[in-house]
Formats: sequence, C-alpha cells, structure tokens
Amino acid sequence: MKLNSEEVNEIALESRLVLTEQELAGAVRYINNFLNMLDRFKELDLKDVEPFSFAEALECPLRDDEVIPFTNTQAILDESEHVDGSYFKVPRIMEE
Amino acid sequence: MELYELNLWMLIEGLKAGKFTPSEIFTSCKKRIDQCEENIHAFITRTDDNPQPGSNPDGIFSGIPTVLKDNLCTTGIRTTAASKILGNWKPPYDATAWKYLKDAGAVLMGKVNMDEFAMGNTCGNSAFGPTHNPNDISRVPGGSSGGSAAAVSAGYVPFSLGSDTGGSIRQPASFCGVYGLKPTYGMVSRYGLISYGSSLDQIGPFARTIRDLQLVMSVIARHDPMDSSCFREKNPDFTHHEDVSLKGKRVALVKEFQDFTLDAPISKAMNRTCSVLEAEGAVLTEVSLPVVARYAVACYYALAMSEAHTNLERYDGVRLGYTVKDAAGVKEMFEAVRSYGFGSEVKSRIIAGTCLTEPSRCDEYYVAATKVRTLIAQEFARAFGEADFILQPVTPSLPGKIGEVDEDEMKGYETDLYTLPVNLAGLPGLSFFTGYSGELPVGLQLIGPRWSDPALLDAGTVLERQLGSPRIANGGVK
Repeated sequence: MKLNSEEVNEIALESRLVLTEQELAGAVRYINNFLNMLDRFKELDLKDVEPFSFAEALECPLRDDEVIPFTNTQAILDESEHVDGSYFKVPRIMEE
Repeated sequence: MELYELNLWMLIEGLKAGKFTPSEIFTSCKKRIDQCEENIHAFITRTDDNPQPGSNPDGIFSGIPTVLKDNLCTTGIRTTAASKILGNWKPPYDATAWKYLKDAGAVLMGKVNMDEFAMGNTCGNSAFGPTHNPNDISRVPGGSSGGSAAAVSAGYVPFSLGSDTGGSIRQPASFCGVYGLKPTYGMVSRYGLISYGSSLDQIGPFARTIRDLQLVMSVIARHDPMDSSCFREKNPDFTHHEDVSLKGKRVALVKEFQDFTLDAPISKAMNRTCSVLEAEGAVLTEVSLPVVARYAVACYYALAMSEAHTNLERYDGVRLGYTVKDAAGVKEMFEAVRSYGFGSEVKSRIIAGTCLTEPSRCDEYYVAATKVRTLIAQEFARAFGEADFILQPVTPSLPGKIGEVDEDEMKGYETDLYTLPVNLAGLPGLSFFTGYSGELPVGLQLIGPRWSDPALLDAGTVLERQLGSPRIANGGVK
C-alpha cells in the first residue's frame, strides 16, 4: 500500500474535504489502486520527452486587449448568500 | 408521421416551405417529452413550460427545439452540472456555443442530466438520479452526456449539445443509437462550459443524422475571443454533400486493439463496417499505437484528475451554489460546503488529483503523465501519416443495466480505452450508428487528424448511406 488512511485523510483535508469513516476507507482503496495503475509510467524512458502542449498554442494569442464592460454584476451578487453591499463577505479567516 | 420524428434538416426545410409552424413543432416535441419523461428521466430542469425563444426569427434554427447538457451556462436558468454543490445557481451569462445557437433561433426545452461534473460513463452518477436508455429503459444511456443522447434518441428534440472530456459524447451516442461528434480540441468555444479537465474538454453535438451534425457544427464552430484555445484562422466548411466518396481513403485499424475482447455485436459491427468501407473503395490498413494501448488510460486519468482538482477548488460556497451560514471560520465553511456538496466519485477524483500534484509526487505522476501525453500525440501524428481515418469501437460492450456497479473502479476506467486517447491528442471523433443487436443500437467510432472534422463527417455521410440511420427509440412507451 502506497498511502495509509492517515495520509489520505491529510490529502482530503488539504482539498477541504472531511470524509466519513466509510468514505475514507473507500478513498484509501481507490487512491492506492489508482497509483498502482500509474506505476506503468515507470516502464517508459521519459527523460528527454517534453511535456505536452498543443502546437496550435502558438497560433492562439491572448484576445485583443479591449475593455468590454460586464453590466450584469447584480446577477452575480444575487447568487450569493454572503453579500455585504457590493462585496462578498466570508467568515473569519485568521485562526485563533 | 409526427413532427417530433423529423430530423433537423427536414424540420428546417419544412419550415421554409411553410409545411408547418414552429409552434406545431414545439407542441409535438413537448407532447413526446410528456409521453416518455417519466420512463427516461433525461431532464434536470425543463423550460418548455416557459420556452426561451431564440433571439433571431430569421436564423437557420428558428423555431427548432433543443436541449443542453446541464454543464453549459444559460443566463437566468438553473445550471447544476448534476451536483448538489451548485444548488440553484443561475448563471449571469450564456455559454458561447448556446449563444450561437440562440442567435440562430433555437428554442431551449431544458437542461439535461449528466454524471456529476461530467465524471462518469453511465449518467447514473448524478445528484438528480439516473437517466434511462430510451431503447431499453432498464439500461444506462451512457455518460456523461447521457441526458443529451437520450433526449435525441427518444425524439424529444432533433439535436442537442453535450461535452466530451474522455468519451462523454461518443459513448452515450453509441449506447442510445444517435450520432455524436467530439470536435477537434479548439473547434468549439469552451466559454461557459463548467470545467472538468480543461485541456481535454470539448463541446459537441448529438443528432439522428450526419447531415444534422453538419448543420449544428456550421453554427457552433466559430472563433470566440473568450476562449483563447479556440481556433482563429481555420475556416471549416460543414456543408452537406450527398455525393461524397471514400474512394482511395486509407482507413486504419489499430494493431494493438485486435487482441482485446469485444462483445459479439460490436465485433460483428466492426466486420460489417470494414466490408462497407471496402465496397466504397476505401483502402483498409493497419496502424500501430503501442503507447496508446498500454498507457493512455493511466495518462488520461492522471491528467483529468489533476485538472479536475484545480478546477473544482472554486466551489467554496462563497459566491454561488450550496452554502452554510454561521460557520466558525472560512476553513470550516469550505469543509462543510464541499463535504456535503460533492458526490463520492467527485471527491475521489479531487483527492487523487491533489495527491498527484503535490510537490513531493508531482514529477513522478503529473509531469510524467504530461510527457506520456506527448508520446501519445506523436504516435497519432505518425499514424495519420499512414492513414486518413482510424476505425475502432467506442466501447468493448453494449450498455449495462442501471445500478450495476463495478467494485474495481480501475477496471471500469479501462473500458474507456477507445475514447480517452482522442481527447489526449485533441482529435475529432465521430460516434456513428451501425445497426441494432436486438433492441440495442451498436455504434462505432471514426477518428481523424486534428481539424479534419468536416472530412470526418463526410465519411460519416458515406457510412450512414450504407449502414442506415437510427430510428427513434420507443422511450419505454408500451
């Protein structure tokens, strides 16, 4: 086993996920099976291989730098229950 | 014949000739939905009680009903990605592909079911329950765009849109007996598509004829300044030609796939399609894709999960969707929202993606996968030096029963071998109908080099001419 339940739980918490005991057991099985599958990569010599990118990326520059106003900001704010004026308000960030 | 039974091009021509009205089409489709929806459960949100008229009465799709996979943003209409975490979110903007259709006059009948965040291949991994295959309602319609495929198959609408990250258009098209195109990466704007794996995701159409796919592509395959990966210079021509030929075209089978087991109806369909191709003057050949055959599945899931974990970080309950009030702190709020809001498959993939991209493991897994992807793209580029198209299955088996669960997820992932590599290399893939095995349709897949989408659909026209078009599924109606 590559990762034990404590390690998987730590990763889950980094992702802001709190798992039940049953979920954690499932996640441990899943992640270890998955990492075993990825061990296949070790059969390949990847030393001189470049990471993938679409060749056309060179033909796809950023869009023209024009100001296009988005007027429907109220619709964005209306979707949140954490709004104060025209801001989003979140609970306390600093830990005690 | 009822109007809902007509294909898209027939509806457009009939409207032009004044044979019927948009209102009659709408009524017929709505009646069909009312007749079957209890059996199929394709919709997450119906809008046909309050139809959204297209914005252009003179557009090519004026008065033509359609549905969208529920990961395409629609202004003011709930968009869920089949997840609890999005709650009743109503986007403040339209996905570009939908905007183009709306500008062409299309009428939205609703948003349809999918696997949560497009993660799955059954359409059963949805917070809104499973969709059923209209050809046999005890079976899955495939996924993740199962609702989009089922809606076209059952005659709800003549065409729909879905998205394909690793087969999510082609596999449900095959299972439901319709045509589905996963366009070249960059052919259709992804703006307004809820992201899963951004370097793999692509929007594409479902329809009951190839000609209908060409009509939809002629509207949605346009540059969009809001998606920098969307092509600029290319000018694809999706005009339908009846007299196209495959004479002299080299169609390859993949050498390494020959040893893999296929269900009998699928291997029969492969043989029959090869005979048709030869009779049409195509030259059957063979290409070798050893890296694809052995490493594509691992490579795909490593990249898809890594990208998914990043893309799904944005769901924290602050700006949209499900949230909690009065959390002790922001960390507690994020944990409460995400732990409740995401389903188990999504959580597993987020955890896996987080694991693979951690600094201590990144080179071993994520970076290695991006290099394997390069080898896969190079292998396809070489293969397309020797062949114009590659013919292969979409899946090794016909659709399973709803509720059947494979305890070993990795075994389930391996069944996606025929679809995932296409996304890794950014290629176009056409899922086409070949006939029926009992009540169940059997589809196969034709793949072309990047930007060959129009030629791929021309090849599809030849295959449809010889293999026949699918019928409308009975939708569980006794």
